[in-house]
Amino acid sequence: MKFTETHEWIDIEDGIGTVGVTDYAQKELGDIVYVELPKVGSEVKKGQEAVVLESTKAAADVYSPVSGKIVEVNAALNNASELVNTSPEKGGWLFKLVLEDLEEFDSLLDKQTYQAKLP
Amino acid sequence: MKTALLEEHRSLGGKIVDFYGWEMPLQYKGVIQEHQAVRTNVGIFDVSHMGRITIEGLGAEALLEYLSTNNISGKEDGTATYTVWCSESGRAIDDLIVYRESATKFFIVVNASNRDKDLIHLLHYSNARDVIINEHYREDGILALQGPKALPLIARLFPETAGLQPMRFLSLPYADRQIIISRTGYTGENGVELYVPNELIVKLWKAILEEGKPFGIEAVGLGARDTLRLEMGYALYGHELSDDIMPIESVSAWTVKWDKDFLGKQALQAIRQSRQYKHEYGIIMEGKGIAREGYPVFQNEEQIGVVTSGTLSPTLHRAIAIVLVDKKLKESDSVEVKIRQNLCKAKITDLPFIPKYSQHHEEGI
Repeated sequence: MKFTETHEWIDIEDGIGTVGVTDYAQKELGDIVYVELPKVGSEVKKGQEAVVLESTKAAADVYSPVSGKIVEVNAALNNASELVNTSPEKGGWLFKLVLEDLEEFDSLLDKQTYQAKLP
Repeated sequence: MKTALLEEHRSLGGKIVDFYGWEMPLQYKGVIQEHQAVRTNVGIFDVSHMGRITIEGLGAEALLEYLSTNNISGKEDGTATYTVWCSESGRAIDDLIVYRESATKFFIVVNASNRDKDLIHLLHYSNARDVIINEHYREDGILALQGPKALPLIARLFPETAGLQPMRFLSLPYADRQIIISRTGYTGENGVELYVPNELIVKLWKAILEEGKPFGIEAVGLGARDTLRLEMGYALYGHELSDDIMPIESVSAWTVKWDKDFLGKQALQAIRQSRQYKHEYGIIMEGKGIAREGYPVFQNEEQIGVVTSGTLSPTLHRAIAIVLVDKKLKESDSVEVKIRQNLCKAKITDLPFIPKYSQHHEEGI
């Protein structure tokens, strides 16, 4: 699993990346009450807004850690957005994408480096 | 700036944020959980960032009557009155509560963000009147206890409060000092607010939390304070009222009494006659998107206004908002809010969004 400075994580299996936000991010955002997911089949670029997380206080953008084509979104979040709070790095995943360039993944932060950056 | 309770908030796991220069708890266990505690049981809030000012003397009643859009003169002793203050040009200075102890002794409670401005305004218009004005910003703290179980809980600690009616207050002894307890609040629930010297406030906060355990009490932060007030359609200065939003345009327009004289009345009357003013309404979103402050509001492809506050209502499980629009609308009228790139449907609804005093818990029974 790799991380971004903007608090997303991505895990790769068979060339497909699963993306979510970190536990730190969900704590900062507070109760997530609505998740605006991307369309399956759409293309995203690294660093582009892919998801909007709505908390009781504000709307927060989630940026795609890598470029690729969205192949699946976590439909469970439509009725259970709180999964992002209760299980940010498992059941609260956001979308899956086919990576355009594996090197983009390699250049992301490892867990230790990410955690060292947290305040 | 910090309130006397900052360490208590930290020890309860409060997430501290900056609010107009104050270190205040945004939340402890979570906004939704705290919101529901207030709607079903009882919640305690530190609102010491609000300011208390005393106004005393033979000229006090006339001064407050002149500054307030709402009626102040001739009210009974021991009553609290919500009002707006405006400038000569009709712009909202603040919204506040005026407490009358007697015809010559009042105090007001004002928003944190407007403490200095209100004091200057008050001193300016007190010129040549027989009044003594004192701010109690440093020595006083304020607690709010709100929810269907707030009154039984406070009566256990202060039996004198039994039977205290809404918008009434009393002064009573606590640990050899006087404190004030008022049947006021910002949540739409039954409850009280307590004005307490800072030396005693930590002791009282702890005593209420301890006594409140069997009632299911929770400490509640500013996050839930905002969702609770928004469900009631109450104004928050800087959002529904501001330098640019006149009281007659706002959800607090009901405070403006045309049969009395007050500062700004002439300007407001002229604007009312011109019909060139805006209106605030509650809306409920039909879909899942949440309308946030500043999002544009449309009708028939034309922008008619903006959102002033918006959130997900934890009680209704629907997105609610207050909008400021150029035209008169009525209940059930359709509008659209532009959320990011999409126009999302919403309907005008009467305020409050949910009934006052926990009646919503009896719905469907």
